[in-house]
Amino acid sequence: MSYSRRRLFEVELFVFEPGTCTLLSGRNGAGKTTLLKIAAGLLKPDRAIVRIEGRDFTWRAARPFLRHRVIYLHQFPYMFNTSVAKNIAYGLRQLRIPRAETKARVSQALEWSGLEELAERDARTLSGGEKQRVALARARVLSPDVLLLDESLSGLDPEARQQTYFLIRRMVSEQVAVVVATHDYELLRQLGDRHLILTDAGHLEDRSPKTTAAPSSHARAPNISPPRRRGQ
Amino acid sequence: MNEIVTATERAIGLLISGDPGLWAIIGISFSVSLRAILIATPFALAVALLLTLGHFYGRRLLIAVFNASMAVPAVVVGLSIYLLLSRSGPFGDLKLLFTQSAMVIGQILLAFPLLVAMAHSALQAAERSAWETALTLGARPWRALFTLMYEVRFALIAAIIAGFARIIAEVGCSMMVGGNILNYTRNITTAIALETSKGEFAQGIALGLVLLALALTLNLLLNLMQGKGELA
Ligand SMILES: Nc1ncnc2c1ncn2[C@@H]1O[C@H](COP(=O)(O)OP(=O)(O)OP(=O)(O)O)[C@@H](O)[C@H]1O
Ligand SMILES: [Mg+2]
Repeated sequence: MSYSRRRLFEVELFVFEPGTCTLLSGRNGAGKTTLLKIAAGLLKPDRAIVRIEGRDFTWRAARPFLRHRVIYLHQFPYMFNTSVAKNIAYGLRQLRIPRAETKARVSQALEWSGLEELAERDARTLSGGEKQRVALARARVLSPDVLLLDESLSGLDPEARQQTYFLIRRMVSEQVAVVVATHDYELLRQLGDRHLILTDAGHLEDRSPKTTAAPSSHARAPNISPPRRRGQ
Repeated sequence: MNEIVTATERAIGLLISGDPGLWAIIGISFSVSLRAILIATPFALAVALLLTLGHFYGRRLLIAVFNASMAVPAVVVGLSIYLLLSRSGPFGDLKLLFTQSAMVIGQILLAFPLLVAMAHSALQAAERSAWETALTLGARPWRALFTLMYEVRFALIAAIIAGFARIIAEVGCSMMVGGNILNYTRNITTAIALETSKGEFAQGIALGLVLLALALTLNLLLNLMQGKGELA
């Protein structure tokens, strides 16, 4: 991937393993955000092959799938200008899920994230930590295959962090492939099963503590091998 | 001094008695300006969306051009249209000069840059993350566009009100391309100019009061909308 001819990275392989929490680190400007947005189908790479269930697709062909099955969470989540409950219902409404079912799934998500009390609050008036939890609930209610968190944990107080860790772990245990971009090594100890570094040279290196790399056979995870491009 | 007082008294009398000539003029103003704003708004919104989300060469220049063209005086717009529509002009065969259509065209051109510039700054305030959040939660691009506009709906309504306020109070362009024909192209502003020059102050003052009330109401609405946008 490159921006205006400045080569950013050339990743050979980026595998999403269900039920695994992967930490993605790298210096400021290494391209973590860029990589995650490509994987979520939000940003067009120069070149990428997306492998889903063993079949290869171009990024463009895979984009609808990526947008549906991969969810990207911004560092500062955007809250739609409405209530917390309606924010959580947003994705379900896009799927045209019947009202009654939407309601049931939203209240389940509210309970799951401990937001019941805030259900009718204007989402814009929440604190940073509460917004994070809304964003997680809004994602989980869609049962995605992959969840990408972009430095979502910086700037939270210890308690909010613990709550967020807990929610992330629960999604991992529900077989979601979670990737967290972060500079925070404390996280690695608490959350990460796998640790990848996006190096300055623009490669993705595995720095997992002890590679228990029994290659995952879960077929549903898309293997994305984004952007390769000769630098200029 | 006495003259002004009696003229004002007669003006109020005209308004209250529902003088048909007076209200016909007011009707023409509304009919022309409403048509102009209704036609201009969808195109201006499309352009503003393109300027907000598009990545194309010359985007910044185009934004600057729209901002700058808000300053083009109404008479100059009127002059240009006059030259284009006059019998020897390139569109002379359409025989549009001195018709309501010519006034509508002029007012569209006057409102357009204002609508684009205000809608663009409204959409920009919603941030790119609003758009990305909608997409990653599975919204189709069209739905995501709708979400984006809905998020900044008050600011967009404010843009439309501001555009309407500009063109209904505009005199230079209507005078030049409309021709001030009674019961056809004579609107509030051109009637005021004419009646006053004839020394018929009562009707001029009556129409002036209507215009003043309208301007104050529109500005009040505008402030209300902008206030709502901020509160969000
Ligand atoms: N739209 C863009 N146009 C041009 N350059 C960009 C654009 N977006 C990002 N960049 C550049 O690409 C590089 C990688 O950006 P990116 O946001 O992906 O880094 P990051 O690893 O997420 O950094 P951080 O740790 O600060 O979040 C940066 O140098 C950035 O300035
Ligand atoms: Mg980043």
